[in-house]
Amino acid sequence: MNAKPRSLSRPFSWGSTLANVVTIIAAGIWLTPLLFTALMSFRPPAEPVTQGNIFVGTILTTENYTRAWEIAPWPDHYRNSIIFVVGTLAVQLVTVTLAGYAFARMTFFGRDLLLILVLLQLMIPPGVLLAQNFATIRDLGLFDTHVAMMIPYWGSAFGTLLLRQAFREVPMELEEAARIDGATLVQVLRHVYVPLAVPTYIAFGVVSVSSHWNEFLWPLVVTQSESVRPLTVAINKLIRTADQGSLYSLLMAGTVLVIAPLSIVFMVFQRRFVESFASSGVK
Amino acid sequence: MQAALPVSNRTVSLSRKSWSQRLLPYLMIAPTFLIVFLFTLKPAVSAVIDSTLKPARLAQDPPAFVGLQNYADLFNPTHHLGARFGGILLNTILFAFGTVAIGMPLALGFALLINRRLPLRGVWRFGFVYPSLLPLIGAASIWAFIYADQVGLLAAILRAANPNWLGSPGLVLGAVIVVNVWSQTGYYMLLFLAGLQGIPRDLYEAAALDGANYWQQLLRLTLPLLRRTTLFVLTVSFTFAFQAVELLQGLTEGGPGDRSNLILYFIYQNIGERRNWGHINAITIILAVIVLIFTLSSFLFFERGGRENER
Repeated sequence: MNAKPRSLSRPFSWGSTLANVVTIIAAGIWLTPLLFTALMSFRPPAEPVTQGNIFVGTILTTENYTRAWEIAPWPDHYRNSIIFVVGTLAVQLVTVTLAGYAFARMTFFGRDLLLILVLLQLMIPPGVLLAQNFATIRDLGLFDTHVAMMIPYWGSAFGTLLLRQAFREVPMELEEAARIDGATLVQVLRHVYVPLAVPTYIAFGVVSVSSHWNEFLWPLVVTQSESVRPLTVAINKLIRTADQGSLYSLLMAGTVLVIAPLSIVFMVFQRRFVESFASSGVK
Repeated sequence: MQAALPVSNRTVSLSRKSWSQRLLPYLMIAPTFLIVFLFTLKPAVSAVIDSTLKPARLAQDPPAFVGLQNYADLFNPTHHLGARFGGILLNTILFAFGTVAIGMPLALGFALLINRRLPLRGVWRFGFVYPSLLPLIGAASIWAFIYADQVGLLAAILRAANPNWLGSPGLVLGAVIVVNVWSQTGYYMLLFLAGLQGIPRDLYEAAALDGANYWQQLLRLTLPLLRRTTLFVLTVSFTFAFQAVELLQGLTEGGPGDRSNLILYFIYQNIGERRNWGHINAITIILAVIVLIFTLSSFLFFERGGRENER
């Protein structure tokens, strides 16, 4: 996406000026909810948006943030979210590398059938099988643990497919040369395949981290204690609290606390994110 | 002879593979396969089996085989779950089609707008993409504030004319669709942008030389060449739409009176009800089949359309 926009180079035209105006208005509409989320979070806790100036209300205060911070054990939630995404990705990187290489470069009986079975994960997303998977977690004795949130993602059909594709593009001669020098499979992977697939690993990593950071329903179902639950589940509790007393400025402050970390990362690495999502095709 | 030697050597070494070498690829796939087996293959098969069973009154007794009775119950308006399921199924289909029908053209439009020479292009692209990076439950909480009756952002703008968006049976599903469109469109725009940038530039130059204007180029060149991207976006947005239940948890909890309830959320609501286990699995199978129909049929539809275009 760093290529220049591919429009026809044209001198000033009413058409493209109009398109510019439409772009700005549309993007403005799209950002309006976020603008008001930020503004609302600085109003006094019990003040509705209908009171005072629609943008800044009667007075601006950080009281919501102090109150929101007290409602939930935020350091625990941040830690749990980090454990969830890092623990998921770390195992994924190993499993998709091994499976990606086997499917890309090895011949063995049943390879195509096994690949199709793995790809079924993309056809029937694990989320659809919520009830059965919840029962499995209970049967495995994993209910209310960090592992329960991570384990269904430790094998990734999507990642396997991405790495298989990347590894197939590595010239066979490189592996053969390394083998002649006596390299073992682990060395071949470490020094030939993995370094050449770094862009693919980054794309997969960005997609994996952001999708699990944002995940809600699965962690909600398989956990119970705040000492295990991630940030997204904390918002759920805030919504319940806010709804009862119409404390929307409090809810918006809590929402900002949850969405801020990934937002900052996104703003810093915008291009990286955009390229990863566009090239990998799955969020 | 000299040149053929290494090749024949290689074949020999292949046939002399030791047992551990033969086992190696299976070991490498094993971790991935084990997880896919545990959380996709096994639960899919178990759901089919459990959907034909009726749990006994006591947890320790074995369940009874009831054939397709659980499925029949779901479409029987006098059954306590059947009375609700028909409407929820319809909501789910409306929700998926509504999201795609509004979101796809918007995403394509945004992509066409961004894919031009444009001052501050990165800023506008950020504006479109940002909501799609938020957790859906975060989007839900933001829109809970926007839609809030009497005290929400829309109430502040529309004042007396503001309806109770999430409280009225006729508006609630549309209101949730709007949130889903807002939170997904930026991501689909990115996919369209990638598709647009894959179109060779000289095609446009040739078309311009032939005197084709912008709209002719769009209809005859851009749209047909985006067919694969469109198929992909269609597939992904349908599968996402069937799983977008976070919005319900944050906004409506399926209400009022199930008017915004969706299949997966209904499954979630009943997940702890042991006596409904057979029905929950029947619903799971119905959902899985719908997801498969959507992903496969959109694929076939576009494949056939493609061949007709080539003729």
